[in-house]
Amino acid sequence: MAGYLARRAVGALWALIGVATFVFLILHLTGDPAAVMMPPEASAAEIAAFRHAQGFDRPLIEQFGSFVASAARGDLGLSLRHQEPAMALALERLPATIELAGSAFLIVVLVGVPAGVLSALRPRTWIDYAARVIALVGQSAPTYWIGLMLILLFAVRLGWTPASGIGGWRNLILPAATLGFFSTAKLMRLTRSAMLEVLSADYMRTARAKGLSFARVSLGHGLRNAWLPIVTQLGVELGTLLSGAIITETVFAWPGVGRLAVQAVFERDFPVVESVVLLAATIFVLLNLVVDLLYAVLDPRIRYA
Amino acid sequence: MKGPRAPRPYARTMQRATALLFGAVLALSSAGPVGAADTTVTISQGVDADTLNPLSKTVTPLNNVVQHFYERLADFGNRSGEYIPLLAVSWKRINPTTEEYKLRRGVTFSNGDPFTSADVRFSVEWIKDRSHASEQTPFVRDIDRVETPDPYTVRFISKVPTAIPPGLQQPIFIADAKYFQEKGAAYVGEHPVGTGPYVLREWKRDDQLVMDVNPKWWGGRPKIDHVVFKPIPEAAARVAALRTGATDLITNVPPQYYAQISGGQNTKLESTRSLRQLFIAFNTLQPGPQQNKLVRQAINYAVDVPAIVKNVLGGHGYDLTSPIPPNYFGYDPSVPGYKHDPAKAKALLAKAGYPDGKGISLVVNAPIGRYNRDREVAEALAGQLQAAGITATVKPQEWVSYSTMVGKRALSPLYELGWNQPSADADGVVTALFTSSGPLSCYANPEVDKLADEARGELDVGKRKALYKRIAMILHEDAPWIVLFEYEDLYATSKRLHFQPRGDEAIRAYEMSIT
Repeated sequence: MAGYLARRAVGALWALIGVATFVFLILHLTGDPAAVMMPPEASAAEIAAFRHAQGFDRPLIEQFGSFVASAARGDLGLSLRHQEPAMALALERLPATIELAGSAFLIVVLVGVPAGVLSALRPRTWIDYAARVIALVGQSAPTYWIGLMLILLFAVRLGWTPASGIGGWRNLILPAATLGFFSTAKLMRLTRSAMLEVLSADYMRTARAKGLSFARVSLGHGLRNAWLPIVTQLGVELGTLLSGAIITETVFAWPGVGRLAVQAVFERDFPVVESVVLLAATIFVLLNLVVDLLYAVLDPRIRYA
Repeated sequence: MKGPRAPRPYARTMQRATALLFGAVLALSSAGPVGAADTTVTISQGVDADTLNPLSKTVTPLNNVVQHFYERLADFGNRSGEYIPLLAVSWKRINPTTEEYKLRRGVTFSNGDPFTSADVRFSVEWIKDRSHASEQTPFVRDIDRVETPDPYTVRFISKVPTAIPPGLQQPIFIADAKYFQEKGAAYVGEHPVGTGPYVLREWKRDDQLVMDVNPKWWGGRPKIDHVVFKPIPEAAARVAALRTGATDLITNVPPQYYAQISGGQNTKLESTRSLRQLFIAFNTLQPGPQQNKLVRQAINYAVDVPAIVKNVLGGHGYDLTSPIPPNYFGYDPSVPGYKHDPAKAKALLAKAGYPDGKGISLVVNAPIGRYNRDREVAEALAGQLQAAGITATVKPQEWVSYSTMVGKRALSPLYELGWNQPSADADGVVTALFTSSGPLSCYANPEVDKLADEARGELDVGKRKALYKRIAMILHEDAPWIVLFEYEDLYATSKRLHFQPRGDEAIRAYEMSIT
């Protein structure tokens, strides 16, 4: 087990190095932000002086070298916009993102999975059709549009919730529902098909033949065996939700990582973009590891050595 | 099926209890310490402030926040050439290159430090220090050095005389030298200490920035006790927040919401003529038919600006005849403009050797979403050129790469740009946009260069005005631009708010009141 973890850690490190290199190159190849940061009346000499003070005039390889050197020490540099440590800015926004992503994830688990199970257990009934229609809408309607519709209905027309911003639990309802909708729909479909596959297995017939209760058969034997793909997908979804719900956070003015990322990309705030991407990559790597370890818990046949 | 039903009454009780508890907490937290007479105004711009360091950035949404904490020596009045004394009470030119400011006495920073000439000197020098990479360096470029003969006198010495004193071209904010040096720029960026009407209570980035009135402010007590800046990036969400009463004032209102807001029960629109004009420039430095004056004139005749203002801006704009607009110093009503005249356009094109526009294919470069309706204006203009027989296509681009290309003078043959000069003086337009060394100029005319330099240093108002008229006449004849319009800026506010918008896009809570 320890050896397995060590190997996974080394793999994760390589993944992060790859991501960091990729992001650095993509960003720096698109040009630097000196011209937009300086006011429009700035002369070419003033822009050049600014570029020099920021180090943008150094050869790319040299810039990359100092980026790697400081990144290895955990320092991703100062944000160009905020003039504060970039990683600290990203971490400062993480709690808000966790609050939103956690709530959305709860909706996914508590709605998506049960609805998928029900829809598989009662195929071609109204439950199944309703679940499938919701899944279709959730997967095809743009998050942006859903968010705005929810704001118009529940905040502007009915006045039940605030229109945007962070605050109490009422502020959380609309963004969490918006963010969770897409993933819920995805999980619903996945759970349904995973369950349908398992339900037709021989051991299910045996379980039923043994006279076990309906609940025991469908949950204890059915869901238990359908879990693996569902848990894998849940891990991926949680990673996606946590790495910053860019659109949802923007529509609802939610002060999370995603919104920071959007602004940083628009303004070419290199250190912040790099920090956010590395943070997201780390979350993904860690969640993947957790999911892999969960496999062993869910399926005793799986062993890591 | 009975199972799940049983807990319901309990759940309902819990819900009610939670709601009551929540309501009570809400009531307590909004009561505040001072009592019912307290007034709060919430302002929602699209973005949050980047930093509260007043010496570093230049963007409007950030200045709108910072000016509540920090003050300038003087501020622009409502008309061109008019100044409101703030930290300086008076100023005079003691020789062509020296401007002396007498500072306001008895002013303290919010931490108790006295305000003196050393703070002015420090602020200018901090910006000038290139290692700080301040974006405000162009604002102090004409100041050679600062002298402080006594704590309440400061002198700005420039290398060459300028008609507008270098300290007033774009007045900078004054920071507390002692505090700034002790704490450092990064700390100051989060903990502002200024002489202004408000002090910071709390700043949660991208969530809200709350300020309270500064009881020590020399200017008296503003009518608004607390100001909240609550950034909302998405325009539709900003409108929703205004309609639900979550905010009192929103900026950048998309035109499709105008009717909804002005017809709203609790909302209204406020508007003012902006100092920002939108124009399409010919890149006369790059080869192509646009280097031919006759072609430029023909294209100007082919464009119908009033129609663009009416159809693309819904009438919320003011078509211009000259790059020096009527609300700027240097405007002269006798300078002619180009009126829509397709026959004249056709004749000029034929004269230039392009009968019926044959042989001309133009690209109109335009930014996306930088200015109100920027791309749509370029599209309408290209459509009008097509109607006149000139092949024209629009090439829209995202702002960061667009502005980099503008700086390199690489956009050709036509490019769209907006320009806002808070000083409302022709110099800001002419020097930056029409001289051969101007950072955003794609036009070179030795005569204009000479006249612009002369006008910039001319201390006599009448002579200076005459020089700008001569420049405007040359620009009309030479037609390096398609002059378009100045915007009408629209803000949406709650009905309870009294707010008078300004042409320079500044939003000041200390000039507001509520009913």
